[in-house]
Amino acid sequence: MVLMDKTARRHRWDTKFAPYGYVAPYFLIFGVFGLFPLLYTIWVSLQDRNLLESEAATFVWFANYAKLMADPYFWNAMGNTLSLWLLTTVPQILFALFIAQLLNRKVRTRTLFRMGVILPNITSVAAVTIIFAQLFGRDFGLVNWVLELFGAGQIDWQAGTASSHVAIAVMVVWRWTGYHALIFLASMQAIPSTLYEAATLDGANGRQQFWRITVPLLRPQIIFTTIIATTGNMRLLAEPLLFNPGAAAATGGSDRQFQTAALYLYEQGFTKYDFGYSSSIAVVLAIATVVVAGLGYLATKRIRTE
Amino acid sequence: MTAVLERPAPVRPAGPATRARRLARRVGGPWTYAALIAVLAGSAFPVYWSFVVSSQTPDAIDSVPPVLVPGGHLFANIARVFDTTDFALAMVNSIVVSGTVTISVVLFSTLAGFAFAKLKFRGRNVLLLLIIGTQAIPTELGIIPLYMMMAEFGWAGEIHAVIVPGLVTAFGVFFMRQYFERAIPDELLEAGRMDGCGSLRLFWHVALPAARPAAAVLGLFTFMQAWNDFFWPLVVLTPENPTVQTALSTLASGYTTDYTLVLTAATIGTVPVLAVFLLFGRQIVGGIMSGAVKG
Amino acid sequence: MRPKALVLGCAALATAVVLSGCGSDTASGGKTKLTIGLFGNFGYAELLEEYAAAHPDVEISDRTASYSDHHKNLAAHLATSSGAADIEAVDTGYVNQFKATPDKFVDLNTKGGGQLKDRWLPWKWEASLSKDGKQIGYGTDIGGLAICYRRDLLQNAGLPADRDQVAALWPTWQDFMAAGKKFQEKAPEGVKWFDGGPTVLNAIVGQAFVGYYDRSDQIVVGENKEIKAGWDLVVDGVQSGLSSKLLYSTPVWNTGFKQGQFATVTCPAWQMAKIKDQAGPEAAGKWDVTSVPGGGGNWGGSYLTVPKSGKNIDKAVELAAWLTAPEQQAKVFKSAGLLPSIPKLYEDPSIVDYKNPYFNDAPIGKLFTDAAKKLNPQYQGPKAGDIQTAIGNAMQRVEQGKQNGEDSWRQFVGDVQK
Repeated sequence: MVLMDKTARRHRWDTKFAPYGYVAPYFLIFGVFGLFPLLYTIWVSLQDRNLLESEAATFVWFANYAKLMADPYFWNAMGNTLSLWLLTTVPQILFALFIAQLLNRKVRTRTLFRMGVILPNITSVAAVTIIFAQLFGRDFGLVNWVLELFGAGQIDWQAGTASSHVAIAVMVVWRWTGYHALIFLASMQAIPSTLYEAATLDGANGRQQFWRITVPLLRPQIIFTTIIATTGNMRLLAEPLLFNPGAAAATGGSDRQFQTAALYLYEQGFTKYDFGYSSSIAVVLAIATVVVAGLGYLATKRIRTE
Repeated sequence: MTAVLERPAPVRPAGPATRARRLARRVGGPWTYAALIAVLAGSAFPVYWSFVVSSQTPDAIDSVPPVLVPGGHLFANIARVFDTTDFALAMVNSIVVSGTVTISVVLFSTLAGFAFAKLKFRGRNVLLLLIIGTQAIPTELGIIPLYMMMAEFGWAGEIHAVIVPGLVTAFGVFFMRQYFERAIPDELLEAGRMDGCGSLRLFWHVALPAARPAAAVLGLFTFMQAWNDFFWPLVVLTPENPTVQTALSTLASGYTTDYTLVLTAATIGTVPVLAVFLLFGRQIVGGIMSGAVKG
Repeated sequence: MRPKALVLGCAALATAVVLSGCGSDTASGGKTKLTIGLFGNFGYAELLEEYAAAHPDVEISDRTASYSDHHKNLAAHLATSSGAADIEAVDTGYVNQFKATPDKFVDLNTKGGGQLKDRWLPWKWEASLSKDGKQIGYGTDIGGLAICYRRDLLQNAGLPADRDQVAALWPTWQDFMAAGKKFQEKAPEGVKWFDGGPTVLNAIVGQAFVGYYDRSDQIVVGENKEIKAGWDLVVDGVQSGLSSKLLYSTPVWNTGFKQGQFATVTCPAWQMAKIKDQAGPEAAGKWDVTSVPGGGGNWGGSYLTVPKSGKNIDKAVELAAWLTAPEQQAKVFKSAGLLPSIPKLYEDPSIVDYKNPYFNDAPIGKLFTDAAKKLNPQYQGPKAGDIQTAIGNAMQRVEQGKQNGEDSWRQFVGDVQK
């Protein structure tokens, strides 16, 4: 009796409280080093505050937000953010699925190929900047050099809205596709081949099998990558910043044609020292990111197992 | 293949067919190879090209048409990098930072991911959403309050200021949670419970072995990200105590930038990551195989 | 040329500064570690060694970052009142913002700055002086203007190559553009008269007596006829195909030097070291320097500040004063080409007679000291740096064919008056 009771109690304790213990390290460390900066940012977003002068800050409630809603440059930046989100996230996931599919086949030297796709991700940002500045240079860039071989004219990549978005999207997609492909690959390998064998017997071809078996079974990973890619791509900063080096880097082009919301908050915070306004952009951007990630979740959740 | 077939099968997808099965993957034809080689070339070209530049004189970077074969100046350039900055210290710092962060992230993410995927507790969904939500916060502004904390702790300029905030990531928890959800069938855990296993033992004996391939992927990704992080280290560290990325930024800082020097340093900085990749890469490939192949 | 006597002289000077400045300096056991945060090339490497040799109790380490990283990190460190170096360099583009929060810095007037004041050009001293009279930084260099040009390219296009004759081509900016049109008729494909509109425009703005602000800190650029005329002139030059359309201080601009894409470039003194490094040894002797159209003007230059959060304020102030002293500024002029902000040196024969071998032995000492003497000090308002970025963007919009000159100007004026 006593023994039973003890075990049962231990069991109850285990199912009730142990899970909190497992998630506690995350929340503990995040609570100290993640939550404080977050709450602080929200607090500052309600102030009129110069970055250098916290003593002179005044509390203004939602004045920063009101100004933000009427700021055409903020909306321009949000538009660019959404455009770049679309241009990066969708190709990233489609290419990653395609590459994972290739890597999942039985090929020689597959380790080499698997390692190869992740190479862009281990390249340091400083190197990527220099490399892409060279590639997308107007007069002597490799891309324009190749375009000219095919008789197409030179493109001033930084100048146009569309061309700059494409160039930045290429950098992002190049850097992150292999990463997502490996996530897909890991799960693809766990799909039982009997499913494919049965489908083959039913006369389904490779493409049908891919869309009817592989993709539905990868649903959790597709949801995962969509959310991760969205949260990353909604706050693109390094790429647009480094795409336009020089004193005007933070404006994202001569007409702000590729200034993302994250870059706009960077401009307001670190070149204009408007800490309050910059913080309000951060808060709005975070909310927008959650909304867009939620939409992405709803879209990918519709993938069903046939 | 046959040797691998004998290995135990900790992972079983909870798909419609749960019976033991044999894997017969499609054999790649010439088109597969062609496509893979194209992908590899696209991925590797910029890395290859930065290696080419680091083996050339500074003129190579903007020659027209571009220089595409390595030259003979690699070692001279490497020597210049070590002369110009304390690159050895930077490498050691980066290894310490990335190594510590990786071990911690993998451990805590696996624990939390397991709990979120397989244990029931009040507030589970809310807490998970909270974690995913934190992923959406732009971190750039957070550096000011974070720096205030570090200054308060007296950590500014020290590498723990870079390590500690990186010890857990929302990405890691979410990643492991998504993996566990599918990788361990609930029946298996139920069976374990019936036998009187506590959740910690279930974690240790069932979840952890099953997590190997995913943990290897997470470990690799975390290492790479910690290695390449530069925004925060640039603010909190000083050039006297750099990481590889802040040292690169110092190299790229003159009125005039010697790109050859920067790309040489970047190339040297890639070597440890490649080594880690070889280490984990085998784990990933091996892990995926042992996970997927059912005996 | 330099050894003992000079070192001793410097040491004596430094001691004088200490004595005059701060009597409260307490002796501490062991070495004092001083850090100095710089960007780009200040030419201080040898000077710091020299100083450390003369002061065995001081150990100096310099931190150099890129222009934007340096100023961003400095802002973050000032905002949190920790982590800044003992001495931090600040560029003209940022000094107006920093002097708006003078309490983050040591007021050098309280550390003996008042006695040193007469060293500098009066306007240089005022540029880093806060509204309430606090001095946040000692001036290093100024950006006196000249034009650097490619002898060979001018010659091939049938223009003179000799620097006096070249100067005679362009007494005014109108003449400069007219010469450009002549050049462009015979120029080889891909070679333009100047590097980019924003570079030329910055020089013209730097020469105006009133720039973006009036003295009561009102933004007046919208009504400033002188600047609008300069704008129109550069727009006309761009639309006549005289511009390579490269933005200064970018990688493609650097490549432009190597590839010889343009024949002239506006040369503030600090630009010369850049050109030498970018164009490389193979272009030695091809480049030359001559005087700028219009009057004297200023573009750029820096200051050494001492953040209040430092632990060794007195020693830092001492070092900052030493680095910006006449002797040291003279050396930096010869090693890195940075033009001193010290009027006394404009009469010093070792400066005035200095010739730069890379630039075809151009008498840059005479050229730049003349330019500095002619210089109209322009009042810089609080956001002058931002406005310079905005006008550069506006000119780029014209160069990229996104807008015509009038529309772009209107958008610029609207932007800065928000």
